[in-house]
Amino acid sequence: MALASPQIKAVCVEANEFTYLSNQFRVRGVPHTVINRRASFVGALPEPDFVEAVLEGAGVVTQHPHDTPAGPTTEIAAS
Amino acid sequence: MAVIPESVRQQLKDRFDTVLSGPVKLTLYTRPGSSRLILPAGLGCPTCEDARQMAELLRDAAPEKITLDVVDASRDAARMEIDEVTDVPTIAVASDGEIGRIRFQGLPTGTEFPALIDAVERVSRAEHGLSQESLDALAKLTEPTEVMVFATPT
Repeated sequence: MALASPQIKAVCVEANEFTYLSNQFRVRGVPHTVINRRASFVGALPEPDFVEAVLEGAGVVTQHPHDTPAGPTTEIAAS
Repeated sequence: MAVIPESVRQQLKDRFDTVLSGPVKLTLYTRPGSSRLILPAGLGCPTCEDARQMAELLRDAAPEKITLDVVDASRDAARMEIDEVTDVPTIAVASDGEIGRIRFQGLPTGTEFPALIDAVERVSRAEHGLSQESLDALAKLTEPTEVMVFATPT
């Protein structure tokens, strides 16, 4: 994805090695994806859903690529 | 990781020979004199030495295409800040002339190692593998966006 958009920086973090980050983002299972350090989702999503979750997490309003009732459940942190 | 078997080196060499096309710049952000001792934050780096071996393994598999730049976090704080790298070891993968936007923070062992090799190959071939729909959607991103994926070796 970072290859497809010059705006994206992709960081793969070893969860066990950086426990302070795992704790900060409440990582309980992997893969756990955090967008702009505020929105997150757990699990491997199919490509369209992953892209949508990233856009949603980045604050870009999106239309669902297919008519799933819920779409990916991106959790936006309160703060 | 003590010694990387010769068979693995050869396997990687053979693979890179056929798969890589353009140049790839690897940057390893590290701290020297790393020991396996657990030291107070900011001092120790138990996995830096292994990360260096891993980055060198990749470069040595295709030295004509892959370059390796090593940044010492303890001496070059300015560079760490410019490249926005907060922790060591971090391996960044980039095509020539840009700051690597694909990063592996921590030692990329287990399932992360194939992902690192994949990243090197994709950067070299400028091959993102995404659909046109995804590209159109991602074009809406106008601000820098960080996608952080937590993974474990198993």
